Amino acid sequence: MRAAWAITTTTVKQLLGVRRMIVFGIAELAPAGVFLLMTQTLAEEAALDRLLGMVAALYFPLLVPIVTLIVAASALGDERRDGTLSFLVLRPIPRSVIALSKFGGAVIVAAGLNIFGAVALTVAYGIETGSWSLVVPLAVGGAFASIVYASLFVPLGFFTDRAVLIGLAFVFIFENAVVSALSGLSSLSPWRIGVSGFSGLAPNEVAVELADFGGTGLSSFGTALFRTVLIAAISIGATTMVLRRRDLT
Amino acid sequence: MNDPALVESPTVELDDASKWFGQKVAVSNVTCSFGPGVTGLLGPNGAGKTTMLRMLTGLIRPSQGSVRVLGVWPRTSPSVYADVGLVPEEAAVYPSLTAREFVRYAATLAGVTDVDEATARAIDTVALGEPADRKLSGYSKGMRQRAKVAAALVSDPQILLLDEPLNGTDPVQRLHLINLFQRLGTEGRTVIVSSHILDEVDRMSDRVIAIVDGRLAAAGDVAAIREAMTDIPYRVRIEADSERVLAARLLEEALVHGVSVDDGILHVETGDLAALGRRVPAVAREVDARVTSFQPEDASLESVFRYLVRR
Repeated sequence: MRAAWAITTTTVKQLLGVRRMIVFGIAELAPAGVFLLMTQTLAEEAALDRLLGMVAALYFPLLVPIVTLIVAASALGDERRDGTLSFLVLRPIPRSVIALSKFGGAVIVAAGLNIFGAVALTVAYGIETGSWSLVVPLAVGGAFASIVYASLFVPLGFFTDRAVLIGLAFVFIFENAVVSALSGLSSLSPWRIGVSGFSGLAPNEVAVELADFGGTGLSSFGTALFRTVLIAAISIGATTMVLRRRDLT
Repeated sequence: MNDPALVESPTVELDDASKWFGQKVAVSNVTCSFGPGVTGLLGPNGAGKTTMLRMLTGLIRPSQGSVRVLGVWPRTSPSVYADVGLVPEEAAVYPSLTAREFVRYAATLAGVTDVDEATARAIDTVALGEPADRKLSGYSKGMRQRAKVAAALVSDPQILLLDEPLNGTDPVQRLHLINLFQRLGTEGRTVIVSSHILDEVDRMSDRVIAIVDGRLAAAGDVAAIREAMTDIPYRVRIEADSERVLAARLLEEALVHGVSVDDGILHVETGDLAALGRRVPAVAREVDARVTSFQPEDASLESVFRYLVRR
């Protein structure tokens, strides 16, 4: 337990570079900024429509995956590149603890950033409308999507130096093109799992409105939670197995 | 036990171990063992020393044969790592941590009971002192080496594997580390130190395992191996002005076997490196030449190793 906590906190420290935090912090404020800008230019459009536009076009399909990709791919990728992974695996601790802790560290940072973006956006919405009912649902949805993306990108960072490139191809080609064209694959789409988490906790009218913004094929909150936990468990298991079997040359 | 590659009470063993990466054979059919004391793993760059150390720690799996540390294959028995410390050749430190945090991290992961006390002791052992509270990103290579040694020592391991640990260290640090490794060996720990520099190994080790082209070239005590090398000339690279005059004068010296001048640089062959080192300044003064560099060539070392392989 002490080892797991030490690896998690060190990972968080590693991933929280000052420059990275500034860039991501500004990026996370972008949806809120655009929302407020639209208040000036598209005042006639309903605030909820503008918010859902931001959620479905910017927050879930772009911001969450890109921020999580860069953070999560670094969690094991930086250790491998810097040679510190051998430092970690040569400790008397099970590889599952390493896999779980690295994943945990990546999720804390990525989800923290994405929740910050979600809160900023929904607070901007709340200031305009006086409604604060979407703060928690969007934060939870952002956390779900962060966990699922981290499940994919933490192991990917271990395998290749081109994790960011491959991750971007996944986001833009698979998620934003293939899944959009073949809705049957939507259950495999991390950001749709996040949107489902958001939609499941949000008031009913929001879920209905989301359909107009491409939010089709969404699952219930319970299913989204189940998928999130399942994908995370599979990812940690797979990373553990790879750490046990793969040579560190 | 007659085979000099094997020891009486081994803590680390390789049995017919080989490792290949695609077509490239990095380690080939090596059988040897290590026990308490300092053993030098000697070989030119690219000989397979790092691959061998990585096999010993379980970081890479042998393609053939077996490796045992304290009787087990470490990859499947991670608990054995409580008794193993590795100082890798590459940077392998967290630049965002201070040396103290790094050593403390190693202690925590090793399950050390009194982390603070063990951290302070390890830092003290490598004489890192005040800079221990500075970030590792600002460390010189030599200081990083000491921080890595402290991290390896913090759990008081029975086995210590050091891959070129003196690289980048200054003469004072070097002497300190050599004394430290000797002390650890005397205390009954198994200390395996890889190096491509004969002199370093000579100063540190009681016993040498020489590796060339991935194969076991020689094993035994340092004196025996050095004796076997006496008929192989050392090659020294000398940079000086008036190089042709200096070359002609050096040829008159009995300890010089041959001299060639290539692109203004002298390549001198000798059977006694230390004596040549003492004689060259005097000879240079005689012919009014100024020597700017005197360096044993790695190629000469390699030729010694190749000689050992042919034996």
